[in-house]
Amino acid sequence: MAPKPPSKGSGSKFKSSSSASKPSSRPSSKPSSKPSSKSSSSAKKRSVPKPKDQIKTKRADAPSTKKKRRTYTEKELGIPKLNMITPAGVQKPKGKKKGKVFVDDQQSMMTILAMVNADKEGQIESKMMKARQMEEIREARRKEAEMRQVDKKSKLEETKNSLRKHRKRKSDGDALNATDANAQTSAPKKNKKRVSFG
Amino acid sequence: MRQLTEKETETLFSKLANYTGRSLTHLIQPPSSESSDPKNPSSERHVFRIQNNRVYYVRESIANLATSVARANLLSLGTCLGKFTKTGKFRLHITALDVIAPHARYKMWIKPNGEMPFLYGGNIVKAHVGRWSEDCPEHQGVVVFSMSDTPLGFGISARSTAEARRLEPTGITTFRQADVGEYLREEDTLFAT
Repeated sequence: MAPKPPSKGSGSKFKSSSSASKPSSRPSSKPSSKPSSKSSSSAKKRSVPKPKDQIKTKRADAPSTKKKRRTYTEKELGIPKLNMITPAGVQKPKGKKKGKVFVDDQQSMMTILAMVNADKEGQIESKMMKARQMEEIREARRKEAEMRQVDKKSKLEETKNSLRKHRKRKSDGDALNATDANAQTSAPKKNKKRVSFG
Repeated sequence: MRQLTEKETETLFSKLANYTGRSLTHLIQPPSSESSDPKNPSSERHVFRIQNNRVYYVRESIANLATSVARANLLSLGTCLGKFTKTGKFRLHITALDVIAPHARYKMWIKPNGEMPFLYGGNIVKAHVGRWSEDCPEHQGVVVFSMSDTPLGFGISARSTAEARRLEPTGITTFRQADVGEYLREEDTLFAT
């Protein structure tokens, strides 16, 4: 994946063409067009301690070589990220101001307050809705329970009534029997011996 | 002493908004600020400042003057609203009562026979409630007043108003969070450490 720096091959080409003493990158731009000028510049160099304009020309050449030697970032190369020691949350973004950001102007405070207020209103609203729903459910349950209670009571009454009727019927028959029985029992009572101490 | 950061401001406001309604904006922007009278200090802008984890609500001119006091030497200024815990939450102090009471959303008035139990740190039972705001949901911030409209403290509603109506007289309607009795009970720690 690592980029092949293209300067190497071309540099070696130039090296072969140019003199061995010179650095490889310098004459890269115009070696074939002006060979005479190149030789003259080298001669100058030896004699005079680097005139300023010449340095400039060299600098003008420099970017082209730099471009060739440019290092590629991991993003450009598409290399998968390594597991770094510093977690992503800890890494501070570049170009951002260090330290705390204070809020002191009215406008920003008002916006924060508006946000908070809206949030709270929503919470209260949802709470009320929930409470209302729960209340409805409770009411419905209560009504159902009441209905059940009434049903139960009415059933109980019915059974009671039915029992009463049943007993009445029974008691009618019983009453006759009872009178007979009384009559029977009253007779022997009369015969009972009595003792008086008078 | 410094201004609050965005996060801190949000935490503080969300706590205050538990007890107050929309009129909380008056804290930041007093209603009379348009006709600001330099002679009347109440119309002057108030700001929030943090000092040793405590948040103060201060008149801006005093806050500016206080910058001349070193942080280590500055004990207190303005009205203390509460303090930031180490986990970043905010805890309201009883000293904030004066700030939140005028803007209270849900109120509860307690009878004279319930004042002392409340001021000694007890929760409010139904038998002691004189009046309450309608439509109060449960677990919502409530400001507690005496029957003569004197703010006594604040707390959290234990039940919604509808549920509290059906409650037995000894049932708790409001959990106490702060009461003015703390001025005596917590005298040592209320303003320092």
